[in-house]
Amino acid sequence: MSILIAILIGCLIGALLGINAPIISYTYSSYLAIAIIAALDSVFGGISSVVKGNFDLKIFVSGFFGNAILSILLTYLGQKLNVDIYLAAIIVFVGRMFTNLSIIRRYFLEKWSKGKNKKEVEEDAGK
Amino acid sequence: MKGRGTIIFTIGAVVALLVAIILMQFRTVEETDISTLEAMRETELRAEVASWKEKYEEASKQLTETQAKITEYYETMESKDEAAKVLEQELLQAKMRIGQEAVTGSGIEVTLEDNIETQIDDYDIYKLINELRLAGAEAISVNEVRITAMSDVKSIAPGLIHIDGNPLHSPYIIKAIGDQTYLVSALNQKTYGYMDYVIKSYDKTGYITTRESIVIPATKKVMKFEYAEEVKQ
Repeated sequence: MSILIAILIGCLIGALLGINAPIISYTYSSYLAIAIIAALDSVFGGISSVVKGNFDLKIFVSGFFGNAILSILLTYLGQKLNVDIYLAAIIVFVGRMFTNLSIIRRYFLEKWSKGKNKKEVEEDAGK
Repeated sequence: MKGRGTIIFTIGAVVALLVAIILMQFRTVEETDISTLEAMRETELRAEVASWKEKYEEASKQLTETQAKITEYYETMESKDEAAKVLEQELLQAKMRIGQEAVTGSGIEVTLEDNIETQIDDYDIYKLINELRLAGAEAISVNEVRITAMSDVKSIAPGLIHIDGNPLHSPYIIKAIGDQTYLVSALNQKTYGYMDYVIKSYDKTGYITTRESIVIPATKKVMKFEYAEEVKQ
């Protein structure tokens, strides 16, 4: 429960910061976008690991920042090499996001169907 | 408990950071006008430059073509101008000849007047016109009525002569542009000259004056061909 509150407070503080932050140059917005994709991937990965029950804070935080920084560096390198490397990063991150989402979805679907069965069993017992 | 507090704090901080960055990015994307030159990506700029270059080349090509056309027009215009000038000159000459253009020059003035005994009649006038033409008059007028190739002179009543339908009366001032000496000597020939034979022998009044500057007006008669046509060769 306290984790949910922490997430909510984090969202509020982040929103306040984001609204009041200065607008960054459009040239650098592509780096920021790829960093956001990487961070979102880490978040979904974290949730799926929570679901699996092997969540590690160190791995989560290092993945969150490491992936973001690495993707920014890759995008920069790609621009220097005149190759759109950020496309590869996006494909990898979004693909992983879908995989993690499917894990989360499966977990909650199973939980829901289990609860329903339980309820039905209870109802049957009640009869 | 310490470990749990760290986890909560860390997750809260990470979420805050993520949301802040996402909102920053949203605002950047929203508030940047993609069509401005500064916001364009390199490839877009390249495409833009290429299209502008193409447009420029097309425009410069058109410019050269148009300039060439203009020079051509100028050349034809000049040659046409010359032709037009010659034609205009010819037209003016023709108009002067048929009396549609007022002319000026040196010549003589013959004044014929009615007196108590005799009156000037049409014969005197057209005889005089004929004599003047014989002597090389280039333009003739009677009382400011231009004599043309189609002019008619007719006595209507004693003291009234119609020339081209214009009623004229004494004194008749006949103006003629031409060589003054020829004109005067032609009229003043002894015995059979105009002044002797037509005027003095009938006791009519007439005298000649030479003028350095005579203005003979254009005819007011409109010439139209209703029956005559050009002979096609």
